[in-house]
Amino acid sequence: MSEDKEKKIYRGRIKVPYKHTAGAYVEKFITEIGKNHKIMGVKCPKCGKVFVPPKMICFKCFEKMEEWVELGNQGTVKGFTVVSHSTPVLPLKPPFAYAIITLDGADTEFIHIIKESDPEKLKVGMRVEAVFKEVPRKRILDIEYFKLI
Amino acid sequence: MPKHDVAVVGIGQTKFRSKRRDVNIPEMIYEAVKMALDDAQMEPKDVDAILIGNMDHFEGINFSEMWCGIDATPGYLKPVVKIATGGTTGSSLGICGYYNIASGIYKNVLVVGWEKLNEGGATTGIITAFDPVWERPSLAGALGPLALMANIYAAKYGITSEQAAKVTVKNRSNAANNPFAHLQMPNITLEYVMNSQMISYPLRLHDCCPQSEGACALIYANEEETKKITDNPAWFKGVSTAHYYTFGTDDIMYDLPTATIASKKIYKKVGIQDPIKELDVAEIYEPTSWSELSWTEALGFAEQGGGGKLLDEGITQMSGELPVNPSGGVLSTNPIGATALVRFAEAVIQVMGRGGKRQVPDVETALGMGFGGSLWTELAIFGKDPNPLR
Amino acid sequence: MGKKEKEFQIKWKTDLPYKYSIGKLAVKYFEELKENKKIMGSKCPKCGKVHMPPRAVCADCLVEMTVNDMVELSSRGTLDGFTVVNYPFIDPTTGGMRPFPYGYGIFKLDGADTYMMHFVDETDHTKFKIGQRVEAVFKEKREGNLGDIPYFKIIRDESEE
Repeated sequence: MSEDKEKKIYRGRIKVPYKHTAGAYVEKFITEIGKNHKIMGVKCPKCGKVFVPPKMICFKCFEKMEEWVELGNQGTVKGFTVVSHSTPVLPLKPPFAYAIITLDGADTEFIHIIKESDPEKLKVGMRVEAVFKEVPRKRILDIEYFKLI
Repeated sequence: MPKHDVAVVGIGQTKFRSKRRDVNIPEMIYEAVKMALDDAQMEPKDVDAILIGNMDHFEGINFSEMWCGIDATPGYLKPVVKIATGGTTGSSLGICGYYNIASGIYKNVLVVGWEKLNEGGATTGIITAFDPVWERPSLAGALGPLALMANIYAAKYGITSEQAAKVTVKNRSNAANNPFAHLQMPNITLEYVMNSQMISYPLRLHDCCPQSEGACALIYANEEETKKITDNPAWFKGVSTAHYYTFGTDDIMYDLPTATIASKKIYKKVGIQDPIKELDVAEIYEPTSWSELSWTEALGFAEQGGGGKLLDEGITQMSGELPVNPSGGVLSTNPIGATALVRFAEAVIQVMGRGGKRQVPDVETALGMGFGGSLWTELAIFGKDPNPLR
Repeated sequence: MGKKEKEFQIKWKTDLPYKYSIGKLAVKYFEELKENKKIMGSKCPKCGKVHMPPRAVCADCLVEMTVNDMVELSSRGTLDGFTVVNYPFIDPTTGGMRPFPYGYGIFKLDGADTYMMHFVDETDHTKFKIGQRVEAVFKEKREGNLGDIPYFKIIRDESEE
């Protein structure tokens, strides 16, 4: 930036550490993924909608959900985009795809990544399956990625 | 002129704690919302509009409307608006809810304030609320300026540390009667407060409020709806707000001029000429013990320098003429986004006669106060009917 | 839940860079501070109130102040209040703990009508007194930001020794 422009700004930073409580629903979801390689959702007692990732309240009915449902580890791709540029924050080395996946048994969409280096092979409607991380770290990337089946 | 009268018909509060690690933010808010809906016997689908509020820099999720407006409140497909005005967040929520119904636009409104304060840190978060070029480098959160205010007030009127400590003793022992309060200390002594560490002269640790986590929800309705819901509502008699200059240092504000201005406005509106006689209880926002001494003067309860006398003569004690903070006040519970709304909730609880062990006898008129920002004040007066006193 | 399990928390540290536009008057303020060791405020052309920090609008009159309305202030002021901050907290500008204890005072620079808060070089509250004179301490090598005045010092009389 030119010296003139530099005078007009103040370069500041906001650096704050946080400790976020994710809650019991997220904890169970992540634990099942890490320990048992199972993806679980919750079902609304009123409208029967199955939510994944799970949460406490069905927003339509405003009811507490307590029934856990085991979903398949497979799903159908509803939409995707291919990431081809490289930045340090990416979960995989490009090219790979971010995808909206309808897991078998779920009524909400699940966003994750598909590891496929040939973008031509990707199509809406194709089937994918979760691949789990060897050593789980209690993060969403304990599902390392989805692969085409 | 307001087109409609506004009553509070439902109240919900969580038990305030230092850390609520058992729930995430929407789950915590839901507890207060469910309690308020059950209290008003209202179906979630019948809520017309929702106002939510917190200060995002404490939780680090800078668009809380997205997930706290819907998963925690019945906001799906409804109007949900967020209000964030620092320490006055709760009272701004309380007052904007009043505007929404008084204007006639909505028949009922759900108002929710919350904070999960210890996910970030109070002082750190507060510093980010201020000007990065002029204020952040030296600002010590809220306690630095509050300490300066106490220092000036103490020097001007010769007020002692012991006088201030008496406020903490009153409020935290009052809190022992409040099942929702964070710090409940039925056996607190003056020595306990006076022996605590000096954290920012003249403020000692126990002259200062805690950092709490929790949520508070209120449901308001207009006169027609209120008739269908309850025969024991608390009515808004009036509200007032006074904001001030940009920087907290644009004026020397140890005596909180905005409280003087806002209280004069509201007393005129509601027809109060002698607050000690005509108010039955006051829930004021006292972030430090010194603040209660000085700001009860600003609110017109005592002349300048006379805040301590109110305490010593028993006027603001539970058995006095104008009990201040029967709930324990901010010195006992401080979840910043909810705190000022809790003041309104506690004032309303007193008017409704639902205070249990903390109930002051024969409450007809109660004052609730919010404070925050660059030293703003917001006030509301509640009563058994919506009319001014004269 | 039986035994207290370690609660599941997700920890992160934000580290967001910002380029705050400081405004024309602040540009002039920091220029004068850097080049000439001058502290400047802005004077309202209507009511005459001298604002420190300088700003574009007088809140009382809602009248604009420009660079031409800036006036030089003294680097000295009189202490109206003081405290010694003595508790740990993370400074969001650095991400680390701000060193404490530190002296912190509120004062008006001679010539200004508004107050300012800044570091003062005393950590013993018994050595402070309302009414003391304070003076800005300038950095030798200034960069054109608030750090150019790292703190104010209390002007001690010889009689105090």
